[in-house]
Amino acid sequence: MTHKPKVAFYWCASCGGCEETVVDLAEKVLDVVAKVDIVFWPCAMDFKYKDVETMKDGEIAVAFINGAIRTGEQDHVAKLLRKKSGMIISFGSCSTHGGVPALANLTSRKKIFASSYHHSPTVENPEGIEPMQTSQVNGHELILPEFYETVRKLSDIVDVDYYMTGCPPTSDNLAEAVGVILSGNLPPKGTVLSPNKALCGDCIRNETKPDNMVVERIRRPIDIILDSETCFLQQGVICMGPATRTGCGALCIDGNMPCTGCYGPTDNARDQGAKMIAALGGILSENREMETNEILERLTDPAGTFYRYTLAASKLGSVRKEE
Amino acid sequence: MSEKKSIVFLCNCGNNISDFMELDALSQWAANREDVLLVERHNLLCSPDGRKHFQEVLQEHDAERVIIGACSPKMHEKTFQTLAEELGINISTIHMANIREQCGWVTADKKDATEKAKELIRGAIQRSGLAEDLERRTMEVNTDVLIIGGGIAGIETALCLARAGRKTYIVERDIAIGGFIIKTEEVAPNMECSPCVLAPRLSEINDSKNIEVITNAEVKSVIGFFGNFTAAIHQKARAVEDSCIGCEACFEVCPVDVESRFHHGLGTHKAIHTLFPGSVPAAAAIDKNRCRHYTDGSCIACAEICPFGSVNFEQKDREREIQVGSVVIATGFDVIDPSSNPNLGYKTMEDVYTLSEFERIASSNGPYGGDIRMKNGRSPDRIAVIHCTDVMFEKNGSPSCTPLMNMIALKVGEYVHKKIPGAEVFNVHAGMVMAGPKETAYLNKIRDKHTRLIECTDMTTVTLKQDDRIVMQGAGLEPIEVDMVVLATSMKPSEGTAALAELLHLELDENGYILPDHELLHQTGSSLDGIYIAGCAVGPCNMGTAVTRGHAAAGDILSKLVPGRHIELEIMTSVIDEKVCIGCKMCISVCPYKAVNYDEQKHICQVNEVICRGCGTCTATCPSGASKARHFTDDQIYAEIGGILHE
Repeated sequence: MTHKPKVAFYWCASCGGCEETVVDLAEKVLDVVAKVDIVFWPCAMDFKYKDVETMKDGEIAVAFINGAIRTGEQDHVAKLLRKKSGMIISFGSCSTHGGVPALANLTSRKKIFASSYHHSPTVENPEGIEPMQTSQVNGHELILPEFYETVRKLSDIVDVDYYMTGCPPTSDNLAEAVGVILSGNLPPKGTVLSPNKALCGDCIRNETKPDNMVVERIRRPIDIILDSETCFLQQGVICMGPATRTGCGALCIDGNMPCTGCYGPTDNARDQGAKMIAALGGILSENREMETNEILERLTDPAGTFYRYTLAASKLGSVRKEE
Repeated sequence: MSEKKSIVFLCNCGNNISDFMELDALSQWAANREDVLLVERHNLLCSPDGRKHFQEVLQEHDAERVIIGACSPKMHEKTFQTLAEELGINISTIHMANIREQCGWVTADKKDATEKAKELIRGAIQRSGLAEDLERRTMEVNTDVLIIGGGIAGIETALCLARAGRKTYIVERDIAIGGFIIKTEEVAPNMECSPCVLAPRLSEINDSKNIEVITNAEVKSVIGFFGNFTAAIHQKARAVEDSCIGCEACFEVCPVDVESRFHHGLGTHKAIHTLFPGSVPAAAAIDKNRCRHYTDGSCIACAEICPFGSVNFEQKDREREIQVGSVVIATGFDVIDPSSNPNLGYKTMEDVYTLSEFERIASSNGPYGGDIRMKNGRSPDRIAVIHCTDVMFEKNGSPSCTPLMNMIALKVGEYVHKKIPGAEVFNVHAGMVMAGPKETAYLNKIRDKHTRLIECTDMTTVTLKQDDRIVMQGAGLEPIEVDMVVLATSMKPSEGTAALAELLHLELDENGYILPDHELLHQTGSSLDGIYIAGCAVGPCNMGTAVTRGHAAAGDILSKLVPGRHIELEIMTSVIDEKVCIGCKMCISVCPYKAVNYDEQKHICQVNEVICRGCGTCTATCPSGASKARHFTDDQIYAEIGGILHE
């Protein structure tokens, strides 16, 4: 028993889907538990930060951290786990590339607070109270973690050993990763634990793609009845597959929905959104009769389309802050 | 900072750089950098003395990277790369920082310019640290030539090249070569017999081992560059094998009459036909839309009577690929269809013809055996020729052909006077501009032979009305009654010119003809190196000019595509990483040179590095980052940006 490696799971700014992946291991979770000791998993079990603080440096073999870094608390625990763990695995899109929470970098803390604590229709806040880092209540000083101006990916805060992408990574990905770690046959540090190829290679629809693809007009999945065999791009629907790392098993494609890009770019592409925009530039119709705006009319959310999971890792960064 | 040490050359460029920034300060700044081994100033680095100095410094010091703060890389990057190469240093070692055009010349303040120059040099240093060795590659030029179009210009180009020993292919859309000239009776201004002019040339082509004529065919794609083109040709089945000698035995038994396009629909030929007797190739062809074997399977008369067993109903279309070093476009011209102007009565009135049609009527090998007659069989006594009909079609009008058409329109008078003594010809024109002294002399000669020139002040007002005779009216004209009207319809680019230009990535001029490389200095060159234009594909011209253009193109090709000569292939090509590419094909869609192919076995895309010109479009497009542009990798570009933005 004493030789079982210690494992920690922690969540930062995330939806909880990554935690689901662990639960989704189902009976396989027992195999994992038989081989490791879970010493910290706040989402599922009752652990305190001080339990971790009292551990020796490097005592935890592997810490899986999901979610982006939005608050001071997440920052603190990530650094704590880095200190106490031999290996940090950035688990899922949010920790690896910022994920959906990083889309908030297109707005500011001030605007988020205004919306969440003042203007939202379900908010009643006549005194205009906003969360403060320190506040006095009945003579006690209460402290809340700082709400950062910018959402960052985990590797901006701590040194990361391996990356797993996906929103969430599949439980197969997790079982495979655990297997690799336990085998001791580790890839070079910094590796993303998914094949360095784009999704189209695993997509049966790729063969339906003509050599000279032309997209006459961009469409959203709600605009047309999606053909279940033809390449989505060929149908005018933006599919992030060409710009997205494979490893998911093409689950969305199987469900007749285009790839939204959650596995992020390959190692060779630095900026997933820019790469996809550049690729699209090459295949959009050059029909001069049609205004470009008309072709792009249904591209209603470019940032959410091209950078849904990777804004914190992109060259775009965030909006200029007014504060 | 880059770990590799750089030598930085700074060039005064006479005073073209030193006047625009503080080069001493820049020099000092560079010398203080840890990643700089040495800074060398020179007054004019591209001068003979500068080049010598450059090589001496490179020999003395073992620099891993060389940065030249000077002019645009377009000016002298190659110069310095070659100088380095002479010393056995890989050309990827040399990097230009453009501190002249992109810095000094566009920055008002000297201090600002100096700071900007620092940033550019910093960027170049960062970028150079990631450079990978580049390999020079060459290949021997292909000296064969593809000629598109078998008119007189194409024929003369081919003969010229073939006499010099060059393999030449003529690809012709019709079933035989000959083009426009073969359909005319006589060629102005000396009124030479056209078939007599053409016959010996056709026969020389037939005998030449160096010329291959591919008829009933169209060019489907051309990829590559000067000295190395691959053309795909689609040749439609003619249902008659090459063993056919054109004996015409089958014509008699063929039961189907088809409107003759050789006679512009004025006469007929059989469903199995040749374009004209003695055509090259001699073989007949079957019109599959009309032949009864194809329409209802009821007839094989031609196959039965053919003494050579040449008819082959099962013949298949042929896809061919040929390798050539150069392409000549000699696609000629078409004439405007005047039926869109109802005032001219074309196709609605009897005895209103275009000039091309009249040329057939007057031809001894024409539909009426050269007998000029009206629909009712009588000879016309009075004939009107309307010049410059192009001005009536503003959209298609190409006034550049006016002197040409004036000349050709004047031929009507000569034909008529030869065949119908006493008949009167009225040439209605908007000003008799003639091309040159010979043409003017012809005008004067014709004028004396009862051809009456009538000037119309506004050609758009010309109207024909059918009465007993045809009544012609127009601004400044007394109404004239005539029996026959000939419309001197203007020339326009031949059908398919725009499509061909798109296929070859050529530019067109405002009238839709292929745009020459230079109107005066290189009229027969196109906007793409190695693709030439002859005859009327450049714009309207007479036969003499068409032929001269062909000779000029041939001469230019002969001077450049010399056997044994090598051409340098692009060094900075794109390359696709097989391990990363998954064959999404985006790169294929964007490659302007068609240099990327999909490998059906490996399911990946591959760059043909012999064709790739290194434009980098595929690399920019590649969504998975599998494509890399040599010497302009993402890593290098980001490093350069990084170097520019911060220390």
